[in-house]
Parts: sequence; structure tokens; C-alpha cells
Amino acid sequence: MTSEATDVRKVGVDLQEATEDTRRVVEAIERDNEDATVSYLPGLVKIQAPGRLVVRRQTVEDLLGRPWETHEFQLAIVSYYGHIAEWDDDEIVIKWDH
Amino acid sequence: MANTKKLSMKQRYSALTRDLDWESSYVSEEELFPHTKFEGIKIHDWAKWEDPFRLTIDAYCKYQAEKDKRLYAVLDGFAQSQGHLTLSDARYLNAMKLFLQGVTPLEYQAHRHFGYLARHLNGPGPRFAALCQSIDELRHTQTEIHTLSNYNKYYGGLHSWSKMHDRVWYLSVPKSFFDDAISAGPFEFLIAIGFSFEYLLTNLLFVPFMSGASFNGDLPSMTFGFSAQSDESRHMTLGLEAIKFLLEQDEGNVPIVQGWIDKWFWRGYRVTALVAGMLDYMLPRKVMSWKEAFELYFEEQMLGGLFKDLEFYGITPPRHVEHAIAEKDLLSHQVYWTLYSFSFAAAFTTTVPEAGERAWLAEQYPDTFNTFYKPRWDKAQAIIDGGGRFFFQGLPQLCQTCQIPMVFTEPGDPTTLCQRHSVYRGERFDFCSDGCKWIFDREPEKYVQAWMPVHQIYQGNCGGPSVPEVLAWYGIQDGDNGEYTGSLDHLDWRRWHASEPAVASTTKES
Amino acid sequence: MQYELRQQVIEPRRKTFQHLIERYGDRGASRYEEGTIDVQATENFHYRPLWDPAHELYDQDYSALKLTDPYTFTDPRQYYYAPYVASRAELHESFGKTLGYLESRDLFDRLPDGWRTVLMQLMVPLRHYESGAQLVTVNGARFAYGTTVEQCLSYAAFDRIGNAQLLSRVGITAAGGTADALADAKRAWVDDGSLQGLRRLVEELLVERDWATGVVGFDLVDRMLYPLLYRYLDEAALLGGAGAYSLVAQHLTGWFADHRRWIDALIAAWVTDEQHGAANRSALGAIVTARLPQAIEAVTAVATAIDGAIDVGAIDAVRRQAQELTAALDATMNTEEMA
Repeated sequence: MTSEATDVRKVGVDLQEATEDTRRVVEAIERDNEDATVSYLPGLVKIQAPGRLVVRRQTVEDLLGRPWETHEFQLAIVSYYGHIAEWDDDEIVIKWDH
Repeated sequence: MANTKKLSMKQRYSALTRDLDWESSYVSEEELFPHTKFEGIKIHDWAKWEDPFRLTIDAYCKYQAEKDKRLYAVLDGFAQSQGHLTLSDARYLNAMKLFLQGVTPLEYQAHRHFGYLARHLNGPGPRFAALCQSIDELRHTQTEIHTLSNYNKYYGGLHSWSKMHDRVWYLSVPKSFFDDAISAGPFEFLIAIGFSFEYLLTNLLFVPFMSGASFNGDLPSMTFGFSAQSDESRHMTLGLEAIKFLLEQDEGNVPIVQGWIDKWFWRGYRVTALVAGMLDYMLPRKVMSWKEAFELYFEEQMLGGLFKDLEFYGITPPRHVEHAIAEKDLLSHQVYWTLYSFSFAAAFTTTVPEAGERAWLAEQYPDTFNTFYKPRWDKAQAIIDGGGRFFFQGLPQLCQTCQIPMVFTEPGDPTTLCQRHSVYRGERFDFCSDGCKWIFDREPEKYVQAWMPVHQIYQGNCGGPSVPEVLAWYGIQDGDNGEYTGSLDHLDWRRWHASEPAVASTTKES
Repeated sequence: MQYELRQQVIEPRRKTFQHLIERYGDRGASRYEEGTIDVQATENFHYRPLWDPAHELYDQDYSALKLTDPYTFTDPRQYYYAPYVASRAELHESFGKTLGYLESRDLFDRLPDGWRTVLMQLMVPLRHYESGAQLVTVNGARFAYGTTVEQCLSYAAFDRIGNAQLLSRVGITAAGGTADALADAKRAWVDDGSLQGLRRLVEELLVERDWATGVVGFDLVDRMLYPLLYRYLDEAALLGGAGAYSLVAQHLTGWFADHRRWIDALIAAWVTDEQHGAANRSALGAIVTARLPQAIEAVTAVATAIDGAIDVGAIDAVRRQAQELTAALDATMNTEEMA
């Protein structure tokens, strides 16, 4: 996907492990970010991906079977690293700027 | 939200926040925003501020109310079922005592001073983001108090957190840190707390604490912590946007911001030293070592990720960061030994790590624990076996900047104490490290003002000359302090967990 | 075994935090009390603020209005964060439903012309007035002394930006989902003669050094403007076939009633304070003397524009309100003497 494969810095997001809805969000992220790795700490899911990570509303809605606003990601997110480059109606994108 | 078809989320957010501003004509901009000039930061166009998240008040209230509904349901359920009895051990709560005394008041300070930014920044975009953060921080203050309120009923050390934060020696470490930030100008505060603390270091503070809570059966603290962190992620975006905005506005801002990054990294890092001690020693069930957390959350994510991004602007990793990295094998051991030695004057208890913990520490710190720190614990254990308990007699010398006792060692030499000093207006001031000396030297007129707990005791401002008088002035009650084994918490815990029904029937009668 | 454990009756060592025990005795404390009383630091501040070296980081002297003990004042609504956001989530949800209803029935388009003028050229521009209120109020949130006082101000500041957003959403909805009306509203706020008295007042209050002088001064304007725009005109709208106006106004009237509860209680606490009561009354008197005539004049200008558009007797209403308010303020100032 990216040409500068030599130095692709990771970005990541930590989510609460607590709820059924969050588990669907994690699934959606895995589906939309094929390079993502998912690991678990007590109470916490850590998702990392090289360069860029996207959360797509459509995918989450497909998995949840109900409408889902991207604002709802607020209920799941614990932390992240990278830069939130986009947070609009359809997707949330985390990446580094430079 | 029936209108999204016409305005995108971004446009709607902009219409409902920054577009509320207008250019004043009855008073000047100078009069309106008198605090944004003196730091030397130049902003040419506030409109260039990118809104880091797009939550309007209606959505904010909706999601925050939902978060709190979930959180308070957990707190109520835990209290009703006497969930405190299912903690890993009563001594786990020492970590939460330190948290309530040391961190909760900082949340409150952040609440107040983000309110200051919500008034005093010229740009409506950052003002609104700061307003949201201000009331978020009030949320964190209160949810922390409410989370720990139930433990306060049954355990020591939590009852006087607010007074203690103003008075007790080790709490002047976090207090002076935050006082330093809010007494600075608005831009420095934004970089100090919004960026350096929230973005660089908050994960190091919160995530290990909360995973520790989860691992030790403290469901309420875990729930509160993760719930607070969901706001924190918004605060991180604010901090990151703030630094990029300042750097992009004027090249002259770069060296000023670099100076603040250098200062606030070290200042914040020294506060997290308390977290290091907590993580490695206070949790009966270990989650991750300080070293591991530092490598993951700081070295990998910040140095490996963020600072590569900031290179673009000519920003380099913080000054003295190499000392922090070199210290990761030593920090928690030096800090906790200090807490152990002085816990007769603390509102928590300490104890010698058990054999299993010592084995874990040796495994996590193969290069240092057995060589430098295990012998100390062996000695402390021998004193206990002889019927005693080691406490340091006397008062420690504190670093004039971070106010931690001078217990850290020379870079590269874990056996020699590091001592630096500067002379200012004919008076000598001592420091624990190059980082703290450097911070003092750039603003000596500020740091000489510090309320130094040990000096204050000697000057007779802390209730009297004797230890019991000082402890009474601190608000420390019987059973709060000293050794955990045999403490009130420990005895109660054993009684509550004695399996014979006799215990239940006797307590029922009372 | 587990079952037995949970059946144990364990006597708590204490029922709440020490500072609450000292104030109220060892009784169970409410979440409001635990999350509010004695939370702010009071002593041993480390450094003087660079932006105001004459003061401590938290200092009673940021205002002439003082309380001997700030915790003798408490919020009658007992809002801490959780009930506060829950209540506002409800307010915004119900407002959203109102807007949805108005939109689905095209009720903004069906407003009589005069009423549409009032809505779009006077009410919607007040989103800027609310935004100014937020700034004045949040200044109090930072500089007030004591958590009970500043917490009310913090929520009020958040409320005001919330109100600004409600009014903006009216503008967006009434303009068919676009921001066009907001641009017009801003022009009106900045240029229209009928709003300049208000804008001048807001800007002057924004630069008041004493946070309470700003907040109390603003409150005087609120006490003239809110009853006119959201109560008196609400009644008139029902008679004048302007249902949309009424449905919007009721949310703001409801909010204002809630808002008055804490601010009236705070003013009452100031004037009756054992140590500072007399000084507070004189400081309040000075604010009233300086700002009330200005407030009456500014709101009269708004009323004049209203009567120009719909002729509902707004100017007379303002005159009556001014008399009532003056009487109410006199009564407040004399509270101590009466007691």
C-alpha cells in the first residue's frame, strides 16, 4: 500500500474490552485494516497498524445491525497514538502527519 | 440532528462553535485577551486551528450521560455487593490512596485552568475545546472521588485527600508540578498539560494504573479509569493539535515550544516516578513493569512515533530524555525504597516485597534488581525478622524543582547519589538531576518561591517540631501510615477473610 | 463460602471523608457533597501566577464579592457532573425533537412574517450574546473561590454555549439546513442598531477584571432579556399564531428557571454573609448602579425592534419588567436589614 516500507511507523488505538458493541467495533477495525494486530491487556484491547488505521461507520453498522454514529466511538476508546487526521460522519482515520 | 443532510459534520461543528465568535469593536482585542502576548508566542491566524474533534453540546451531553450511567451502575453494584472484599489484597489500595491524594487534585486543577484557556485564548476553536476539557476534568475529579468513596468507608488513608494534597511532603511533588503549569502563561500551560502531560505521559500514568486495578479486582477503578480515558483521548487530540498549531503559526515559536517540551517532559516524568513505584511494588498482582510500560508507551509510541512527526517542524526529542531512558531500570526501586523508608510520615503503608514479587522484580530487571536492590530488601527483611522495622530517622533533603527526596543516582552509576546545585541571589539550591537543575536555572525566580515541605517543617509551619505533631497537621490518622503488615487495614482484611462463621456472627452483633 | 462473606455485616470505619465529617458530622454524605465540598486547594501554593503576580493561584481577592466560607453556599440543584450532563442530555434531546417536529411540519416557513423577522433577526443573533455569556461565566469558573461557587459557574458556562448552539440550530433549521441564516444573524449582531446596546454591554462585561462584576452585570441583562424574549413573547406568539416561536422559547424559559435557582442562591449568600455581607451589598449596589440602566436601555432597543415587527407591547413589557427588577434588587439588598 505504501511505498516507503522501510520506515512505516505504527499507529494504534486502545479500546475498552467491556461491551458487546466494542467487540463488533474491534471486528470492524480488523476487517478494514488488514495489517492490524490485536492484543489484550486486562480490560483492554490494543490495536496497532503500520502507518494508518481507519474505523468505518458502514462496516461497524453492518456488524452491529443498527445505525452507528462515529461519535459513538467515544464510548469505546481509551487511548490512541498517532494523529486523528479525520473524524467525520463516515470514518475516523488515525495516522502520522509527517 | 435532522440537519446533517445539508451541513457536513465539520461545517455544522464549525457553525456551532467557532462561528459564534465575532470581532469586538467596543473594546480592543488587547483588552479582551490580555494574557496571550507576554510569552512571546506569535499567532497570525487563529482560524487555522483545526478542530481536533467535533462534538457539539447535544452529542457531548448524550454520550457523557451514557458513560456516567454505566459507571455509576458499576459503583453502586460494587458497593452493594461489598465488592471491596474481593480485591486481591487490602494492600492493593495503597496504590489508590496515592492516586486519590496525588492525582485527583490534579484533575481538579486541570478543570479550573482549562476554564482559564476557555476564556483567555483569542481563538474560538481552541476555547471551545478547552471548555469541554474543563468540564471533563471536573468529571474525572468527581468520578475518582465517588469511585474511592466506598473504600474510604472501610480503609485508611483516603479520608483527607484534599487537605493532604496541600500539606503532605510527597504530595508536593504532584502539587508543585501543576501549580507550576497553571502559574505559567496560557500557551505554556497548553504545552505543559495539553501536550506534554496529556499526550506524552498520560498513558504511562493511566493505562498501567487501570490495568492494575482490573488485575487486582478493583472493578470500579478500572471502569472509572477507562471511562475517563475515553475523554482523555479527546484531550490528547487537543494537545497534539495545540503543538502543531503553535509550530505552524510562526517559526519564532519553535524554540520557545522546544524549551517548554524540554522542561515539561522532565517535570512530568519526575511525577510519574511515583507511578513507577506503584506499578512495580504496590500492586499485589503485577500487570507490567515500569520498564515495560516506559518502553511501550514512551519509547515506542512517543519517541518512535510522535517525535518523528515533530521532526518536520524542527522539534527534537526532549532534553535529558537519555537520562530517563537510562533510569528505567532503576527508577521504581529507588522511589519505592524511599517511600518504604519514610512511610511513617505517609498516608499509605509499605511493606517488603514478598518472595514471589522479588522473583518477578529480578526477572523484569535482570541487570539491576539482584545486584543493587535485593540486598536492601534482604536487610529490611532481616530487621523485621528481628522484630523491628526500618524507617529512615530524620527528614530528607528535597530537590528544589521536583521536590522528590534526593534519592536518584548519577547517570551510569547506580551506587552514587546524584547531587546538583545552583546558587541564586547568594543562596544555594539543590537538585536531584541535571534535568531539574536545568529547569531551575532557566527560571530561578519562580522556583525559589516553592513551598518546600521539609523547610516548612523546620520553620515550624507544620503543626509543631515533633513527628506526631506534623502527622496530626497532615491529617494522618492512626493506621494510615507505616508498615502494612499488622496495620489496621491488614488486621481488618484478615478478620473479614477469616473463614469461620464466628467472625460473621460477632460483626453482626455490633 | 463466597455467599457467607457477602452476608457479613461490616461496620464501616467512617461514613464519609474527614472534611465532611468535620462540617456535618459522621453521616452518609451525598455524591454532590463528596464531589464538591472542600475540593479546591486553599493553602501552600507554590508559585505566583506570571499573569497576575499580585494574587495567589486561588484567591478570594479576585473579586470584591466574598464569602466567609464558600461552602456555606451550595447549589440548590445539587448538580455534580453526572446529574448535570444527564439533565442537559434530556434538554437537548427534547429540543432536538421540537426542532424535528417544526421542520417536518414546515412550521418555521409558516410563521407570520413579523414573527419570522423577530426569530431570525433578533432571537437567532442572540447566539452571540450566549457565546459572550459563556466567556464571562467561564472566567468566574476559573477565578471564583471554592468549588461550590465555581462548579455552578462552570455548568452555567457550558449551558450558555449550549444555548448558543440551540439558537444556531434554530437558524440552521429555519434556513432549510444551511448556514445562511447564521451569517445574517452575525451581521445583525455586529451591525443592527437594535442589538448594539446589548453587544456593547457584553463586550464591556467581558473585560471586567472582577469576575463577579462581569457575572452579576450579565445577570442583570439576562433578567431583562429572558423574560421578554422567551416568556412575554411566548405568550404573544400563542395569540399571534406563531407556534414555532413558542415551542422554541419554552426550552429557554425552562433553562432560565433552572439557572436562576443557583444564581439567586449565590446572591442571597453574598448579601447575608456574616463577615462580608455589608461589603458585598455595597459592591452589588455599585454593579446595579453601573449596569442596570444600561441593561434596561439595551433591552428596550430590542423591544422597540420587536414592536416594529409585530407590535405586541414589548416596550411596555420591558418598562414593567424594569420596575419589577428594580424592586426585587432593592429587596435583595435589604435582606440583611430585614432579617
